[in-house]
Amino acid sequence: MSRGIRLEKTIKEIYPFKKYLNPNKVYLPLVAHKSEDITVLVKKDDYVVEGDMVAKSKGDLKVPLHAPISGKVLGFEQKYYLNNKKVKCLVIENDFVDQLDDKEYQLYDYTKEEVINKLKESGVVGLSGTAFPTYVKYDNDLKTLIVNAVESDPDTSSDAILINNKCEEILEVMDALVEIFGMNEGIIAIKKNDLLIKKIIKNYIGTYVKLKLVEVPDYYASGWERDLVWRIKKEKYKNYPIEKGIVVNGVATMYAIYETLKYHQPLIQRVVTFSGDKLEKPANVLVKNGTLVSDVIDFLGGLEEGSKMLIANGPLMGESIASYELVVSSDLTAVSIITALEECKEETCLRCGACVLACPAKLSPVLINEATDNLKQFRPQKCVGCGLCSYVCPANINLRNKVQRAKEEIA
Amino acid sequence: MSLKTFSGPYIKNSQNASQIMNHLLIALMPIIIFTIYKNGYIPYREGYYDFIMIFYPLFFILIAVLTSCLTEISFFFLRKQNIKEAFKKSYAFLPGLFVALVLPLNTPIFILIVGAFIATAIGKLIFGGFGHNIFNPALLGVLFVMAIYSVNIVESGGYLNPYEADVISGATPLATEVEGIGGYATLVEPYGRLSDFFIGTIPGSVGETSALLIILAFFYLAINRMIKWRITTTYVATVFVMTYLIGTLHGFGAWYPLFHIFSGGLLFGAVFMATDPVTSPTTPVGQLLFGLFLGVLTVVFRFLSPYPEGVLTAILTMNLLVFILDKIGFYARFNFSKSMAGFVLAWILIVGISFLVAAGFDQKDEDANFVINEVAEVDNQVIYHVSQRGFSGWIEAEVILENDEVVNFVILSQTESYWARVENANYVEKLIAADDFEEVDTISSATITTDSLKSILRNVLEDYHE
Ligand code: SF4
Ligand code: SF4
Repeated sequence: MSRGIRLEKTIKEIYPFKKYLNPNKVYLPLVAHKSEDITVLVKKDDYVVEGDMVAKSKGDLKVPLHAPISGKVLGFEQKYYLNNKKVKCLVIENDFVDQLDDKEYQLYDYTKEEVINKLKESGVVGLSGTAFPTYVKYDNDLKTLIVNAVESDPDTSSDAILINNKCEEILEVMDALVEIFGMNEGIIAIKKNDLLIKKIIKNYIGTYVKLKLVEVPDYYASGWERDLVWRIKKEKYKNYPIEKGIVVNGVATMYAIYETLKYHQPLIQRVVTFSGDKLEKPANVLVKNGTLVSDVIDFLGGLEEGSKMLIANGPLMGESIASYELVVSSDLTAVSIITALEECKEETCLRCGACVLACPAKLSPVLINEATDNLKQFRPQKCVGCGLCSYVCPANINLRNKVQRAKEEIA
Repeated sequence: MSLKTFSGPYIKNSQNASQIMNHLLIALMPIIIFTIYKNGYIPYREGYYDFIMIFYPLFFILIAVLTSCLTEISFFFLRKQNIKEAFKKSYAFLPGLFVALVLPLNTPIFILIVGAFIATAIGKLIFGGFGHNIFNPALLGVLFVMAIYSVNIVESGGYLNPYEADVISGATPLATEVEGIGGYATLVEPYGRLSDFFIGTIPGSVGETSALLIILAFFYLAINRMIKWRITTTYVATVFVMTYLIGTLHGFGAWYPLFHIFSGGLLFGAVFMATDPVTSPTTPVGQLLFGLFLGVLTVVFRFLSPYPEGVLTAILTMNLLVFILDKIGFYARFNFSKSMAGFVLAWILIVGISFLVAAGFDQKDEDANFVINEVAEVDNQVIYHVSQRGFSGWIEAEVILENDEVVNFVILSQTESYWARVENANYVEKLIAADDFEEVDTISSATITTDSLKSILRNVLEDYHE
């Protein structure tokens, strides 16, 4: 297994937790599991209540989208999504009426089928950037649950803050799932040097016999699913870990499962890390889906002067966005507003092989970059977009981009 | 409010290409200083050089560097490229630097310049410049001048600096190996002890002799992750294993593989030339196979071809296979067994060739410097066919005696470096004509060769009288 790369900057600062749950308007991006092929269930001037289903993806998976706030549907507008392209968004004007009831349900009372149905109906998806519908993973014979709390990006701390604030809840839902699905164990994996969250988890985990804490080394991409499953269970799989009865969820997803099972709350909010040297007060903010990033920035006290860049989803995997009118979606984990960077000038490849050693998907980016035809033989479709190849390349070649482009080309 | 965008990632580690080159230069520094010491200072200390000539090795290197830089600049000029920009990214000094380090110090300057020019122009520029060449540019340049000008290089003194030329009775250690497997007395002793090989006070090319400094450079580069260390280690290990086998089968000790590793520029080639990033594989398994096959080829060229430049030829040959090795290396990352065939083949060759070489070569008679191949009596003449060890190899001769007198002396074959001087002086004829051949003066710049010729006559006469 690839060892991954130790980033030069790894010290993590955990920013304070804030809530921003009542924007004037939300622009709910009509995207589910990266697809814009969606059936809208409401029309202009309809009144929607927080939690109402407003759209549903076409295709097999049928992921529903829910209204993040109550209010009137104003229509549709194009806003920026995290790939720096505009998408159609459903605009809802907030009437500031709180409609959710606080009824609690017992986690351990659910049956397998009920959990799966609840997850499906609440539209719970992977919140670490994949947006893969969670219920699909649970619809299998399961042996092991792994909660991935290995946050690789140096500037993102949304998982850490959730563990800090909601550790008991997360462990409880893990235990409940292990119980309900008859799994052997539940594992929470963290990075060795994340001392703070290690301490917190250790405080609570003792009461659960089937849960345990596992530490992995501090290498970038050690949190990558394939690597993690290998490290912890010594299992290799073809496409998904469920082939081996292993289900892997992120911390945020696990907490979303908790809220769904405990309060029947659909997936309408998430924690996003707002950071960067141009932001007056960096924070981990609990926001509604569809919130404009510009609104959150104002809420956090605005920006410093000077030319800036906005980066969605971290400096290695992410993209720079052309506008502050970026909308929060369930696959947005982090927003960073930094002093504008100079794009490195690409030089000639030295054939040093650094990109080959760095790639956690075991690709050879240099060969993809050199290939003129028959890209398929070099399997670019295996790229997970981690950005490490570009990070290490001494010739400043943006290999991540080239591999991703090759991936699109052969698709 | 406009936001700058370009596609990510937005952080980069601090390693960049010019940094790698800087580390390379740092690693080469001690080697350059050592050559000034060995090839400049020692001859000066022993009274062979003027003070200023201490810096001749440096001068030698700078000329080659300058040649390749000028070649690139003129090329950019002709192509109407922005010279400053293009030059900054082309690392133009490299081919020249390595050409100078790999050539013998006595190489005439014009040959050095040709070598550096060919290295840059043919080795690099016609492929499209830095990063696009298939062959190691420096080695291509060296191969070229070795092929065309080897006589001139040897003529002007070959691998020996003036001091060595007087105290050492041989050309360069490996040059004596091609006719058979030599023993300690022929391979090592003429040049000192094995420790001299390690430190580097033996004849050899400008930068290749000091095993110690090259090994230090290797560790420096490997620890800083600036070098494809897999290639170096497998290459050296392969040569070690093969020559160890060959040596053991001939009853030699551990000195034999060490001799092979410390001589003929093997270490320099393994550390600096085989790892040239542009012309070596990028995948780990590709690099391992590259090193293994380099080792095999080097041994093959050293024992089975008439040229001592095994390292050079091996690297240039393997350069051709980089693409294939990278492909094997690519698949091996997903499924190691896909590269098994390569490793199995390498091991078969390693063992097979070692045994083949060991069995196919006779060990040279250690002490014999003189061998009588055939004696015939025709009428009242006695005809001797003999072999005598000379300066850079064996001299075959026919000597005809009649009534206690040498009536004819014909050199049938020789590989002497300074033969031309012997011929120009009509030395053989003089020996025949002289009343007492022992009285004929030796030729000062070909002492060993002329002494060997006298020995032939002396030995033949001795045998005749018995
Ligand atoms: S890291 Fe960059 S320079 Fe090195 S082989 Fe890969 S693409 Fe080429
Ligand atoms: S971005 Fe893709 S190709 Fe590059 S290192 Fe990551 S997985 Fe490998």
